[in-house]
Amino acid sequence: MRSTFNWGHGLRLLAIVSLLAAAAFPIYWMLVTSLTPSADLFADTPHMLPDFSRIEVFEEVFREIPVATWLANSAIVATGTMVLSIALAILPAYTLSRFRFRGKGALGFTLFVTQMLPEAMLVVPLYAIFGQLALLDTLTGLILANTAFTVPVITWILKGAIDGVPIDVEEAARIDGCSRIDIVLSVVIPLVAPTLAAAGVIAFFHGWNEYVFAQTLVSSQSLQTASVGLAGFVGELSTPVHSVMAVGLIYTLPAVALYLVAQRYVVAGMTAGSVKG
Amino acid sequence: MAAITLKNVTKTWGHVSAVSDINLDVPDGEFLVLLGPSGCGKSTLLRMLAGLETVSNGEIHLDDRRVDGLPPSARDMAFVFQSYALYPHMTVRRNITFPLIMRRHRWWFHIPIVGHLAKRAIERSPEVKDLVDRTAKVLALTEMLDRHPRTLSGGQRQRVALGRAMVRQPEVFLMDEPLSNLDAKLRTSMRAEITKLHREVGGTFVYVTHDQVEAMTMGTMIALMRKGVVQQFGRPRDIYTNPANTYVARFIGTPPMNLIKARIEEGQLKVGEAAFALPAHLSGISDEGRAEVLLGLRPESLTISPVGGAGTLAGEVGLVEHIGAESLVSVKLAHAETAHEEEEQEQSGVMATTPGYSELKVGDRIAVGVNLSDAVFFSTRTGERLTAKVPQLETVR
Ligand SMILES: Nc1ncnc2c1ncn2[C@@H]1O[C@H](COP(=O)(O)OP(=O)(O)OP(=O)(O)O)[C@@H](O)[C@H]1O
Ligand SMILES: [Mg+2]
Repeated sequence: MRSTFNWGHGLRLLAIVSLLAAAAFPIYWMLVTSLTPSADLFADTPHMLPDFSRIEVFEEVFREIPVATWLANSAIVATGTMVLSIALAILPAYTLSRFRFRGKGALGFTLFVTQMLPEAMLVVPLYAIFGQLALLDTLTGLILANTAFTVPVITWILKGAIDGVPIDVEEAARIDGCSRIDIVLSVVIPLVAPTLAAAGVIAFFHGWNEYVFAQTLVSSQSLQTASVGLAGFVGELSTPVHSVMAVGLIYTLPAVALYLVAQRYVVAGMTAGSVKG
Repeated sequence: MAAITLKNVTKTWGHVSAVSDINLDVPDGEFLVLLGPSGCGKSTLLRMLAGLETVSNGEIHLDDRRVDGLPPSARDMAFVFQSYALYPHMTVRRNITFPLIMRRHRWWFHIPIVGHLAKRAIERSPEVKDLVDRTAKVLALTEMLDRHPRTLSGGQRQRVALGRAMVRQPEVFLMDEPLSNLDAKLRTSMRAEITKLHREVGGTFVYVTHDQVEAMTMGTMIALMRKGVVQQFGRPRDIYTNPANTYVARFIGTPPMNLIKARIEEGQLKVGEAAFALPAHLSGISDEGRAEVLLGLRPESLTISPVGGAGTLAGEVGLVEHIGAESLVSVKLAHAETAHEEEEQEQSGVMATTPGYSELKVGDRIAVGVNLSDAVFFSTRTGERLTAKVPQLETVR
């Protein structure tokens, strides 16, 4: 055992480490860049290690740029999108999974088709509609627009998970006195909780990262989301690269943190033990 | 108290009819077994009783109350699933308590924290806790109340499923092959446990199985089904000794009843070349004057001896199976034919049981002695049992 090197194992480890490095390097580089003075940025020998003596850059951006407002707006939009998407998707998903009705196939297909329309194409009509509904320049409008995009995909994801809930368990609940809505709330939702967490992450990130709608449907400075704010402060005449990187890092970290929290719930095997497999 | 009455109950899926025109009268406190091969409509019938499936036609009564049309929860019946169907996200205690919580359920129980507290309050209220603890004790689950179903063995899970049914103290227990996922030994002990449960808890039980041994050992009544039609409904012993038709005769018993082609001539029963005097209970029976009948004999009515003589059938040993206390011997009769339709071979032999370890070898020429005291006759045309003109008094009671 000890003398023979396990090649398969070694290669797998190498692959995993390279992938991790590839994924983590940009974040690391953002950190390094944000801590590098602008003058040194284009030096021939780049700094490879972060210079923590310049950590006050992060304080600076909060003072000089409305980063806090941007992040708060992004958080509102992302959380709103997440909650609303899941609330709106769960019943259609249950229906698609459990009921037979006329036009079910067409409905499922239509949900798919909505995924093929690019956001950019919908901006103009949405702008017109939102104008009529007084939703322009509100975070509510932004949440609604994002939710419209996430609901179909989340419906499909949840339908897949609900398909995996044994029908016997639902019937047992019916015998025990549950109504349909009781079944969905006390049996189905707990059993698809891992998928629900995954779907929540997807919706949250969509809201967090979304740019096109946030740029067009909202115009007030005070309602800008981080994606728009960040983009707006690149360019013009000069780009304060280290500030951009610092804000970028701040923008990325909450998302990473949320993902780390959520992924603990995204575990398989919730239905284990219910029925003989 | 709950007697179950089924009147012309029928279930059709499109053009397929799974259950046709079933009429059963099950008195209170009986243990009815629905028995039959796979696909004969047992589960469908049980699910209609439970309200999980609508009836296409007919009526279901619980005592004087008509229940088809009522939702499952309004029928006061508990259902035990073949797959256990436990709630995987709940502890064993919560699984067992769940039906009791649902009885007092309010919409606001769905509000996260408040609902959680409310449900826990019910779970901990003395009367609920007592009942659950007693149930757990009966089922030997006390140690496992705080575990989740996934950490339990199959037999333990099955007991949790039984517990969830018991706490409701229903009038009717419905069980769909609850033991078929267990290994043979556990099945035997759970069989005894369910019989005990029936004795102690009372209530009317309806139990689905395709295993005739389970049916014979557990049931106080059996309804044997085939293709959605009840073939015979009665006491296990009646069904064993007086099968209504050749299908029932071949379904019940291991090995099943032998069916031998015979003729009634001049007051004698002729099987091949051998002639037997007709015993009293068979005399006067014929299939509307025809000579041909099928003679039904249980394996224990056949004896095997090395030498022939009057009143024996010559044959050749086809197969010997040793079970331990007795041996099963398959004999190919020299001059008589069997009518076992379901076997692949054109001509299968009769089965006889002999006590102890049989030293017979395949190919041995032997004689089969016949004891006609428990024999029955079936029609060669319809397969129905032939009875004397005076109907025998063997209705259910
Ligand atoms: N939902 C359904 N749609 C159409 N046909 C069905 C449906 N459920 C059952 N059937 C048919 O009804 C017949 C009876 O089915 P059922 O499940 O009652 O059989 P069973 O006696 O319980 O068999 P098993 O011992 O295999 O469980 C079968 O032929 C089956 O194909
Ligand atoms: Mg079945």
